[in-house]
Amino acid sequence: MTMNAHVLPPKQAAAAENTSSSRKKSAKLERTGPGALFIVVGCILLVVICLFPFWWMSLSSIKTLRELYTIPPIWWPTAPTLDNYYKVLFESNIPRYFLNSVIISVGSTVLALCLAVFASYGFARFDFKGKSLFQAFVLVGQLLPTAAIIVPLFVTLRVLGLVNTYWGLILVYMIITLPLSVWMLTSYFKALPVELDEAAIIDGASRVGVLFRITIPLSTPGIVAVVVYSFVTTWNEFIFALCFASDSSVKTLPIGLAEFSTEFNTDWGAVMAASVVMTLPIALLFMSMQRLFVGGLTAGATKG
Amino acid sequence: MSRQSTGYWFILPALVVLAMLIAYPVAYTGLLSVTDSQSNFVGLKNFATVLRSRATPQAFWNTLYWVGGSIVFQVLLGTATAILLNQRFPGRSVMRSVALIPWVIPSIVAATTFAWMFHTEFGIINYMMTTSGLIEQPIGWLTNRDTVMPVLIAINVWKLFPFVAIMVLAGLQSIPKELYEAARVDGANFWEEVRYIMLPQVRPVLVAVTLLLVIWGLNAITIIYAITRGGPANSTLITPIQIFRIAFENVQFNQAAALSVMFFAVAILIVFFYIKALAAAPGEAR
Repeated sequence: MTMNAHVLPPKQAAAAENTSSSRKKSAKLERTGPGALFIVVGCILLVVICLFPFWWMSLSSIKTLRELYTIPPIWWPTAPTLDNYYKVLFESNIPRYFLNSVIISVGSTVLALCLAVFASYGFARFDFKGKSLFQAFVLVGQLLPTAAIIVPLFVTLRVLGLVNTYWGLILVYMIITLPLSVWMLTSYFKALPVELDEAAIIDGASRVGVLFRITIPLSTPGIVAVVVYSFVTTWNEFIFALCFASDSSVKTLPIGLAEFSTEFNTDWGAVMAASVVMTLPIALLFMSMQRLFVGGLTAGATKG
Repeated sequence: MSRQSTGYWFILPALVVLAMLIAYPVAYTGLLSVTDSQSNFVGLKNFATVLRSRATPQAFWNTLYWVGGSIVFQVLLGTATAILLNQRFPGRSVMRSVALIPWVIPSIVAATTFAWMFHTEFGIINYMMTTSGLIEQPIGWLTNRDTVMPVLIAINVWKLFPFVAIMVLAGLQSIPKELYEAARVDGANFWEEVRYIMLPQVRPVLVAVTLLLVIWGLNAITIIYAITRGGPANSTLITPIQIFRIAFENVQFNQAAALSVMFFAVAILIVFFYIKALAAAPGEAR
């Protein structure tokens, strides 16, 4: 830390020395800030940057065709309409893709959670040969450039007859959800006192019994974080879905939306409505779980 | 000892799944890259074919541009946001939720929304910039070769800077209060605190986050594919999209595998040197 070596401007140094012990206490509690102006300007900028696209998307989704294609753009539609939503919900494939996305995301989240719970308990509570090697292997999965393995994965899925099936995507999504889930849950399980496990085992519980009746109930925030993370990443996943689910019976929402918007004559109102439809479940899930999720994510990151 | 083997049973299912989905495909990519479609060994022919293609070096530089440009601004903007959100002011928790929104919005939704906002004729951005006098003529942001990549990078930055902000914020919150107090006794002002306490203290977080951003940048295909599909004239073609094209549009799996091997090697090299450079750095007096 070079703090002490830093030469202070004489005025400030004098002020620091003059501080009486009674003032020192109150000064201690106050944190220096960048000034109210900086905070206000920063907040306004942040709100505009973060919310404007979202707001513009929602606004465009309730505009009529004529209002969408006018210059200057209309800031508040005079005749808000739900036609775009009607088009998306009743005249397109989007509801089907929505269902596919739900099935695949829920399936892979549940599967990843089951596998991760056991693996994390193993990593957190047992010492065995090659443990750090296995842990490193799990982490490498997170660092893998996924585009580099789409070809062999496709060939493998084709051999197994899993191309264009729900199971194919659910399995493949383990690559992106399982490593981080194991990583986050391991740090959660490690933080629980091992004495609890030992007491339960003395009382006659099996290892699996301990896991399900003590460890899991005590790490709800970690479990929630893993569930939200897995669901959101699989819901948004693009490249695997693009390669392994080209048939409309299994196509997921991101691919459906991409097709929607790159057709020759894009119907922007409908695209924006579909975007809102796709965002809502994720936004609701996130906002309701935000505290737990961010806590779990950063706990995993800092404890390693 | 039974305790030892019990541990193996717990991790076995996850390891089997990951081995099947990661170790096997990685090995299989290597095999595919040196064979032809009839599984005959052909040596480095696939590599030569891919390297001869004019798109390959172009995609390589585009990928570096895309990843590098994205990361610089993601880290800068994310750190600034984290410092802002670490201040005490009314409405801070609301602001923290607001800052998460871009990260929550699916990439594909961000892509389509920005594509609409950057629309040449009816896009809100061209409108705002022409009326405020920043530009005279509407710009074809997504069709002009010079503007398309910066625009895509901006969208990617918008999408991921909240992630940097959350991680750095967590780092900032774990800085012991004594450090600030000591600085205050020394009369440090806010910017000196940023420079001498916050940034050095969140360095490990930034190192880890940047590594993740590199990986995600190399994997990020959604925004580019959804908006330009690599065009115009390959000016936004990055290697992952090229792999996809060779494999699924040209149906040349072996060439795609060869390109994958090279992509993989470069990615590992980047990660390796990154970890090496940054693992060595904290030893310096700083």
